Amino acid sequence: MRKVVNCIIIILIFLGLLFLLGRLVSYKYIHSLKEGSFVSDYYKEENKHAVIILGDCEAYTTFSPMEMYKEYGITSYIRGNSQQLIGQSYYLLSEALHYEIPKVVILSVDAMRYNSQIKEEYNRLLLDKMRWSKEKLALINYSKMPGESLLTYLFPILRYHERITSLEADDLKYLFSDEVVSHNGFLINKEIKPVKALPTPKYLDDYTFSQDNYNYLDKIRLLCEEKGIKLILYKAPTVHPYWYKEYDKQIKDYANKYQIDYYNMLELEEIGIDMSVDTYDSGTHLNLFGARKVSHYFGKILQDKYNLSDESKNDKIRLEYEKKLMRYEGEVNEKNN
Amino acid sequence: MAKSRIKILLWVIINFLLYLFFGKNIFFLIITGIINYFWGLLLDKKKNIFFVVFAILCNLLPLLFFKYITFIVNYNVLVPLGISYYTLSFISYLVDVYENRYPSETNFLNYCFYIFYFPSLFIGPINRYQNIKKQMENLGLKKENIFPSLFRILIGLIKKIVIANSLSVIIGNLSSDLSYQGLYVLFGALIYSVMLYCDFSGGIDLVLGVSKLFNIDLVENFDQPFLSESVKEFWRRWHISLGNWLKDYIYIPLGGNRNGKWKTKINVLITFLISGLWHGIHYILWGVINGIFVCFEWKSKNKYLNRTLTFLLISLLWIFFIYQDTLVSLEMFLSIFTKSDLSFFQNIFRLGLNIWQYLISFFLFSFILWYENKKLIINNWLAKRKVEIKLIILLIFLLIVLLFGSYGLDVNSNNFIYGGF
Repeated sequence: MRKVVNCIIIILIFLGLLFLLGRLVSYKYIHSLKEGSFVSDYYKEENKHAVIILGDCEAYTTFSPMEMYKEYGITSYIRGNSQQLIGQSYYLLSEALHYEIPKVVILSVDAMRYNSQIKEEYNRLLLDKMRWSKEKLALINYSKMPGESLLTYLFPILRYHERITSLEADDLKYLFSDEVVSHNGFLINKEIKPVKALPTPKYLDDYTFSQDNYNYLDKIRLLCEEKGIKLILYKAPTVHPYWYKEYDKQIKDYANKYQIDYYNMLELEEIGIDMSVDTYDSGTHLNLFGARKVSHYFGKILQDKYNLSDESKNDKIRLEYEKKLMRYEGEVNEKNN
Repeated sequence: MAKSRIKILLWVIINFLLYLFFGKNIFFLIITGIINYFWGLLLDKKKNIFFVVFAILCNLLPLLFFKYITFIVNYNVLVPLGISYYTLSFISYLVDVYENRYPSETNFLNYCFYIFYFPSLFIGPINRYQNIKKQMENLGLKKENIFPSLFRILIGLIKKIVIANSLSVIIGNLSSDLSYQGLYVLFGALIYSVMLYCDFSGGIDLVLGVSKLFNIDLVENFDQPFLSESVKEFWRRWHISLGNWLKDYIYIPLGGNRNGKWKTKINVLITFLISGLWHGIHYILWGVINGIFVCFEWKSKNKYLNRTLTFLLISLLWIFFIYQDTLVSLEMFLSIFTKSDLSFFQNIFRLGLNIWQYLISFFLFSFILWYENKKLIINNWLAKRKVEIKLIILLIFLLIVLLFGSYGLDVNSNNFIYGGF
């Protein structure tokens, strides 16, 4: 009996060591590939949000929650990531609803065009720092590519072991601690790289969104209905990759069928997006200036049409956002210099 | 049905399913297996030389077809997994039955146990029927086998996943860019020697470890080859089961050393030529050169000098394996003498491994060589330790594999170099 107990203790110590080494070699996502920290930044939020924004890169580059707060006192958080699929947005929303029930959910429809994940790295950005929950398990099952395994998420050492010979100072510094890298899920990018030429659309064999994506869109819609959340769909005002009219029609049809508001910002000239200054990569993503314009425009809609109130009057929220704004402005100015 | 028969039946079914899952062209193995079963029964009753020659040809022709069809007509076929190994096993079985070394197997289940012995179908060792037959009744998990089996499996994993897979990055870079010449080729040859040993013997450790877990002792395939003082000795210590097979079924039937000095040398050359042919079309010259070194052995009085020279010589011959093309290999070999310069030393860490990876591979390889040299003493010492100590040792080895191994999405750890022959 004593032998069995000793062996169990040894195995537990081994598993603890594996966990520790897994943390050591895992990518920290603090100073590069910051998108990997978006998901864990959310867990550090002190107060609830009126708006949750979901989507792929079009989510975390199109809206700046700090700008919406500054202008309208609307609290929002972006649960978006690079190449985030519609199904992944559903599971992130589902997880977020354990913590809060927002009044509005804004979903980017850009990912409707993608049927499956294209690179394992995108899954890692989304999942590595996500808390364990039934949503995370479902997300892994939904997202994993051929060759990927649940075990590598349970034991990150199986995925990142090769970093053991190239560890950096950050790996020790952030072994047990973490740092907020985003601004409510928004990443500041002040570079300007204008659009040189508008894209010429290539003919596709099939423009139809997959049934799987529709199923997850339905799930998001039903979840919002169940919780009394207003769902809004949008397409960011970016010109790459080309947003086909056939895509737009399908979204409009869906929105009409279920009476959901859909904003194709490519058609909303009043936002004032100027692709010679508002993009950092020739029209694929908006930069800070573009995001400011969208946030000011959409904040007004949220305030007027969806009756979102100014939460800066709430002391608890004001205190939290004062700190957030100081950090945000600091980073904006620092980057200015 | 007796308990042992049920175990054998289960083993055959599991091995069959594993082959079905991992293998290619299983129907070929089934068909040739059944044909050889009847050949065995026939040869037991009729000791006719024409029958045995015909039976051998029936086995050899498909092997030659699958091995050389791609080279001859540039046509890709689905090569049955393990055909090189099981063809030799079939031939040894048929010849042994013909030679009255043992009777043919009449029990089809026992016979299937031999032909579907999955662990060694990938990379050997080449099993002899009598060795498997006498152990199959003992099949089963035994408490005393658990630690030595797992220990050997982990040693195999360290060799394969940590050392061989890491070093394969260097070989991949050197072989895919032929502008790496001169000292790079020499360095690549030495690295390949270590890599091939760790890859092949690591795989054999896995096979023998898994077999031991089920109480089956297969023949050893390596005996510290880097201690060899001559090429001849090297081939007694390297891929022993193939060496023994070639000796028993080629060299001795040719006359062995019974017909004078020069006839012996010719027999050796023929044997190595066949060894080269077995490896593939690009390895014929490699086989012949090895045969020449075996025939004309030279040794000094200093054993360390002999070991170093043998290691160097054998490593240089692996150049044929690195480039897998006879003419390219010869060109690369010549470049060692014509294109070597010191710029190599500036680029040694640009070949795919950083300094830590070199150090880890070197340290672990040294540890493996030390362990294999003191294997008996260490294994005896380990056998007397408490279960907790054994568990800690296994977990340390497992941690080394998990932490320093080269595996994951971009690495195909299932590929063994000798699985391709």
